[in-house]
Amino acid sequence: MNLPSTAAGGRIRTLAALALTGLALLSAGPAGAAQQTITMWSHWPDEASKRNFIEDRVKEFEAATPECKVNLQFVQKADLYASVKTSVRTGQAPDIFWLEPDEIGFAKSGYLEPLDNYIDLDNLEDWAKRSWTWNGKVYAMPQEAYSVELYYNRDLLKKLGVELPANAQFTQAQFADLVRKSAAAGITPLAQGVADRPYPGAYFLEEVLLRKLGTDDYGKLLTGKLSFKDPRVIETMTWVRQMVDGGLYPKSMATLKLGESHYYFHTNPGALMFPIASWYTGRAFVPPEQGGQPRDFPLGLMNFPVMDGSKCPECKTLAVGGSYVMYSRGKKKDCAGKMLKSLATVENGNKWMEAVLLQTGVKTDPSRIQGIHAAYFKELQQRSAGAKFFIGTPLHYMSGKCGDTFAQVLNRAFPGGFLSVEQAAEQMDAACKAPS
Amino acid sequence: MNRTLPGPAAGLRRTLASWLAAPEADTRRAALPTIMVFLLPALLVYAGLTAYPVVRTFYNSFFEVADIASSDFVGWNNYVAVLRDDTFWAAVRNTAIWSVVGPVLDVVVGLLLALCLYAGVRFGRFLRVAWFTPVLLSYVVVGIMWVWIYNYDWGVVNVALRALGLEGLAQAWLGDPRFALGSLIVTHAWKWAGFNMVVCLAALHSLPSEVLEAAELDNCGWWHKLRHIIVPMLWPTLLNLYILAFIGKMKVFDLVWIMTEGGPVWSTETVSTYVYKRAFNWNTFDLGYPSAIAVVWFFVVVGFVILFNVLFRSRERMEF
Repeated sequence: MNLPSTAAGGRIRTLAALALTGLALLSAGPAGAAQQTITMWSHWPDEASKRNFIEDRVKEFEAATPECKVNLQFVQKADLYASVKTSVRTGQAPDIFWLEPDEIGFAKSGYLEPLDNYIDLDNLEDWAKRSWTWNGKVYAMPQEAYSVELYYNRDLLKKLGVELPANAQFTQAQFADLVRKSAAAGITPLAQGVADRPYPGAYFLEEVLLRKLGTDDYGKLLTGKLSFKDPRVIETMTWVRQMVDGGLYPKSMATLKLGESHYYFHTNPGALMFPIASWYTGRAFVPPEQGGQPRDFPLGLMNFPVMDGSKCPECKTLAVGGSYVMYSRGKKKDCAGKMLKSLATVENGNKWMEAVLLQTGVKTDPSRIQGIHAAYFKELQQRSAGAKFFIGTPLHYMSGKCGDTFAQVLNRAFPGGFLSVEQAAEQMDAACKAPS
Repeated sequence: MNRTLPGPAAGLRRTLASWLAAPEADTRRAALPTIMVFLLPALLVYAGLTAYPVVRTFYNSFFEVADIASSDFVGWNNYVAVLRDDTFWAAVRNTAIWSVVGPVLDVVVGLLLALCLYAGVRFGRFLRVAWFTPVLLSYVVVGIMWVWIYNYDWGVVNVALRALGLEGLAQAWLGDPRFALGSLIVTHAWKWAGFNMVVCLAALHSLPSEVLEAAELDNCGWWHKLRHIIVPMLWPTLLNLYILAFIGKMKVFDLVWIMTEGGPVWSTETVSTYVYKRAFNWNTFDLGYPSAIAVVWFFVVVGFVILFNVLFRSRERMEF
């Protein structure tokens, strides 16, 4: 049967088009197959500046590396940890995920890929590399770093008739007096919430202890080589306990979550001081309607007080926070490595500081910080000028039973006033003291 | 022609035929292959999702399991360590208190609410819905709500106490080790009282009316009617509710995790939260030790179930 010429022509054109499409698909096939999609899980779903920073870097990476795509997901830290601790065992963990250095156990168990061959380690600060080094290899890209700071409300301090010393550091007697005045005026001296974190309740005690003992002995204390019954430790804990009894912390501390403690400090009911890591900005420097501090909030930074006879008044804690690691059993290590390499550049370090106003383990140039929070960042730098840093927080050194006891005793019960100094020291020693 | 094969083969064939063919005497019974077609999907799901994990947990408890691909046999070491673990015993103590005290509170409150409705209290329909609503809420919602209720500064409990001039009784209910466990038990009872109420109400309505009417004719008072007639007749129901609640509380996890995470100083730690912490929350990777705790507790729960059966089987008809 003959078809009309127009119909035959149309059919030929259709076949030709199909053939061309097929050819195009075939020729595109190898390139399409070469493109890999890696999975990346990050904390910070509710910290806009950090989230935006990571999203922007991923977009830049995808544009510059067409063969790699990134399936980026933001998950709350607790859920993220619960998921990866299960999935690393079964080979189903994401190619890149977020961890903090207290989880170096992932590297020790062989779940993490050393990054030495993937990223330029010269772009990382030495102290940050040390936090993630195991058996001579570096296992993470230390995106976030922080110092432990004592924020305060300038207006409330003025209202109490107290002036900050020139070195921004109160003596033992001055600070105790400040706490008394604050409590008497119905102002909570220190805001703090421990409901969803195992560490913030101990910030104040550990910073005072660090100054009292100096870095060497403080390190020994955290690694079980120095007893919590050491007279200097007992003296420090006794002083803190006296202030706890005088109303140092909110009574609702046990049920306040970390995010809520920020709000407690800067908005309602308001507290005089807030001992927290310098990642305070992640939650506070967002619009007030999103839970940030009021636009005209008189934020100040002071040094932690120093007890009489302290060995190292200039000491302070510097630590690596949120970091990105590569899963050792991932199938797309090439793309994952390129993604991490793209993050670990001095340029991106500067962008992080500009956008998040927080330290990073990547090398940076702080003089570049501009904008409305430049004054804050300048003050943050002033508080660290001349400081002698102790690297890492207690939970970076404590694990298992010792870490759990720290979370229960020094983070919750002791600042809550539910354990005596002797009981707290006894329990810490029982769980943490290294066998002699 | 005789087709029957001689010897053992014939016997085997007969046996197989008897298994595979439906017995003609009872047409309700299907052949084994037919039964298996229906049973197999459920059996596979059960084997994969229940039996295997249980068996694997038993197996893991004898190993230090850092990875699915590698583990070290440690014999009974994990069990010995569990028995020497102070936190485990604190968790056992808290779970035991909760399992014994909690169900009493649940059942008594449920019974009282049911009696209110049975007595024809005003707005009965509304109250029945209102009292049952907490049962429908998830533990997450209940937990968050009660964390607010117990808040020291603005929680309704402390606000009410202050309004009544009882400032001295205001507490950090979830922050103080002396009150935290009790506060959780009250919250749990609040959530489940409605369920117990519905069951008790159904049982009350099924009581023989002639017995209650006879008691009224004998001028039996409200209290005596409750004590000597209603409660004894409801006893099997109440006992079943108690045992169900007991078993449930031996495994309690969700509410504790949301409200206190086992703190402060392990005062609300339960065996389930401790297993979870050891498996997923500590920065260690060993699954063997938490498996050993889970196995120990499995036998404790099974032991109590058997004990209740033995104790009450002859007297009451258990339905759990």
